[in-house]
Amino acid sequence: MRVLRTVVQLIFFAGVVALMARGLAGATPNTCETYCPFAGLVALYPLIRHQTYTCALNELHVALFISLVGLTVISKKSFCSWVCPLGTVQEWLWRLNRRIFGRTVRMPHALDRALIPLRYVVLAAVLGMTWTIWQGDLGFRAYDPFYIIFTGFQGHELMAFSVFIAVGILAVAYFVPYFWCRYLCPLGAVMDPLSRAGLLRLRRVWSVCTDCGKCDEACPHAIPVSEVTELTARNCTNCLECVDACPEAGALELTILGK
Amino acid sequence: MSKVIIIPVAVLLLILVAFATTDAYRVPTLEVTFVEERPATVETIEHEVAGLTCLGQSMGFADMIGGTPGVVSLTTYTRRTTAIVEYDPELITRDEVRALLESPFVHEEE
Repeated sequence: MRVLRTVVQLIFFAGVVALMARGLAGATPNTCETYCPFAGLVALYPLIRHQTYTCALNELHVALFISLVGLTVISKKSFCSWVCPLGTVQEWLWRLNRRIFGRTVRMPHALDRALIPLRYVVLAAVLGMTWTIWQGDLGFRAYDPFYIIFTGFQGHELMAFSVFIAVGILAVAYFVPYFWCRYLCPLGAVMDPLSRAGLLRLRRVWSVCTDCGKCDEACPHAIPVSEVTELTARNCTNCLECVDACPEAGALELTILGK
Repeated sequence: MSKVIIIPVAVLLLILVAFATTDAYRVPTLEVTFVEERPATVETIEHEVAGLTCLGQSMGFADMIGGTPGVVSLTTYTRRTTAIVEYDPELITRDEVRALLESPFVHEEE
């Protein structure tokens, strides 16, 4: 499963890197922002209220956001672990860390629980400020690690502190898997309720499972996979690391609505 | 695990649908009229304008052509870097409007 997912990740990662290279060379005015689905959510308020797009937003952003909603309904937050280049970079850092230390470093449970609501705060702040104080301008660019990194740190409206934000998030992601996704990503916050209802979900076959706990250790999102029959957790991205780690064939299987 | 293939297939299909549908509808980024009274005869030209990728650039382009006699209105669509200009053929020719649309412009950032 990981080979297939890695191929898909590499395709999107290579695409955004190529776009970055072309942008830095002056060959295109487009940047990673041109294809960012979160921009579609940002575009909705001025589109509905004023029937226009603000800043560099357009109908492709809205269409990609709607497609992302569809993907999340079908397969939970698969976007995060199959498509998002920032998710891919964080995963590679996590794998490097695990290769060195031999295990996944976990946040203390209480701290983890306390930080998770932070992404909803980020979502409210980004949307609220874009639609009011920034008057439709994409001021979040200076704080968005995806934009900062994949414009080669040369993007529009970046500030000096933007570099520190991006490097800092990646540094933490080396130790805490998918740090940005788990605690700060506003797009992840939007997808949460849909992810819980995702049609494609993992199911445990108890008769085959030996309760070895390898699935828990393998999960980068700290989901207690071994404790559930059907995995509906909103943070599950269908990365299938638990399936790859499971030594018993058929103990964990991908199903449609549990069947 | 044949169901795994559903994920990349869904990703591909939904991305293709997004790109395919963006031509089915378009909402202007900027719509501005430069005259108080609409002339009796108005013609329209639609043209790609290099660099017209955001609202700021649309407004800069409007500033550039808005003072030209005969130009009635401007509508921009930044997804396709396209502009639609309405003009009064009594005051300006189609070729002159096309020349305006093809002339380079630089949007000065504040």
